[in-house]
Amino acid sequence: MRLRGVGLLHLAVALSIGQAPAGAQTAGTGTQASQSAGVPRTRDGKPDLSGIWQALTTANDNLLAHSASRGVPAGLGVVDGNEIPYRPEALAKKQENFANRATRDTEAKCYLPGVPRITYMPFPFQIIQMPDVTTILYEYVHATRHIYTNGTPHIRGPLEWWMGDSRGRWEGDTLVVDVVHFGAETWFDRTGNYHSDALHVVERYSLVDANHINYEVTIEDPKVFTRPWKMRMVLYRHTEPNFQLLDYDCYAFDWEKYYPYPGL
Amino acid sequence: MRLHQAVMAFGIGVALVSLPASLSGQGEAPRPAVARPWPPALTPDGQPDVQGSWRPVSGGTHSLDPAKSGAADFQERITGVVKLNPSLIVDPPDGHIPYQPWAAARQKELAAVFENPTRPEHIDTQTRCMVPGVPRLYYFPTFKILQPAGSVVFVWDEYHAFRVVPLDGRPRVAATVKLWVGDGRGRWEGNTLVVETTNLKAKSRLDVVGDFFSDKAHIVERFVFVGADTMNYEATITDPTVFTRPWTMRVAQRRMPDDEFLEWACHEGERDAAHSSSNINDPATENK
Repeated sequence: MRLRGVGLLHLAVALSIGQAPAGAQTAGTGTQASQSAGVPRTRDGKPDLSGIWQALTTANDNLLAHSASRGVPAGLGVVDGNEIPYRPEALAKKQENFANRATRDTEAKCYLPGVPRITYMPFPFQIIQMPDVTTILYEYVHATRHIYTNGTPHIRGPLEWWMGDSRGRWEGDTLVVDVVHFGAETWFDRTGNYHSDALHVVERYSLVDANHINYEVTIEDPKVFTRPWKMRMVLYRHTEPNFQLLDYDCYAFDWEKYYPYPGL
Repeated sequence: MRLHQAVMAFGIGVALVSLPASLSGQGEAPRPAVARPWPPALTPDGQPDVQGSWRPVSGGTHSLDPAKSGAADFQERITGVVKLNPSLIVDPPDGHIPYQPWAAARQKELAAVFENPTRPEHIDTQTRCMVPGVPRLYYFPTFKILQPAGSVVFVWDEYHAFRVVPLDGRPRVAATVKLWVGDGRGRWEGNTLVVETTNLKAKSRLDVVGDFFSDKAHIVERFVFVGADTMNYEATITDPTVFTRPWTMRVAQRRMPDDEFLEWACHEGERDAAHSSSNINDPATENK
């Protein structure tokens, strides 16, 4: 797991991260954030999410609570109730995914990882918040998202996009992002937790102070799950001086040696 | 139709044919954009506000020297009629890339075989869905400019490429860090954005026919905004290991309607680059 540039301050945060879900629950929908001091705001008065952020969880390894294994830190899990409500027939596929995880997880192919997985890949991402659109640039495979907040509806489907179609709106001080039009190939984590093309994701971004976002996600997919379920985590601002995104174009690693010409 | 499957189905065709073709609509009248003031308004942090969508007037990344589109090259093979574009290279005045002899030989060798590749390196990086670097991204379809406080951000539709250029004079990343789009540092000189870029990975070539520079290159770009809807992009490439002298290209850009970007997944649907020629004998490919 890569945690580049995580300073001492963040190390302390990482050690206490298990408390985050409980704290997030009391924050609820994030409307309390409007009373929080020190929340930066844009000229139109909205909380300003702009900056470089990173989740510090083991959610990409496993959404649920898990013991340590080689190369994988133990984790307290990010799912409410620590349970993903699979339909009985869907659970079998999850187990099959797990058995074949080394080859079936599209992360191994460096594909765009979908939403919300892109958020908790262990890489930083940069939010650029403008009045009509919030753009997110991710270091991981230089993924991008354009979250339109200008009141436009989802574009007409059916569409199967790796990152879905994102439309945002402000509910008080919380940016609520509705995402649909997914394909069925991405997973939520390396253990084979998966979804279908009926996936509907609602993300809630709530600044609780200048450097922390409560990130809450509702997952709905009636083909795979018996009910909607939630995950929660904290996104931490990179406060190191001059911090910037680098790149991780993993699909190109095998080919780099040939370019611009072999030996050059 | 499922879009990412469409990309799967067409694979290289998309990269080689429709990409230059999509740039060939030079004749079409630009749709009127929202009227913008000139000289430009200032952003809250004092930058000339040039935000929105931009696109080269005459782009395409098939061949810089001679300047030829992929579509024109394809036609030439069928009809024998040679149709060149005006060269983007404005310095040296002869419009040619000033290669050192060894580098010119490498490029010529590649130009001769790119259609019938026998080695992995014969296939253009763009065909492999690798991010086109700087300056190639700027003679390539539409990009958006965003100007959050303290930086200029470029985001492309294709390859979902992006580039964040800080304006705060911060130090460069260490020389050991090489990046696909390099590490750019920008400043405004009037209505011209000047960006100096180092730390170039230099894995992305300049075009399909093998024009290139090395990771020793230093690139100075000038985004010269000359009107509300027009900009000249100039890139001067200095690389004493490959060229005999610095050289400069200029690409006219025009503002486009600020349409939404749709998802463009290349690598996810890429099935053909590795098998685009049965003549390629490559261990990395055979394992796939």
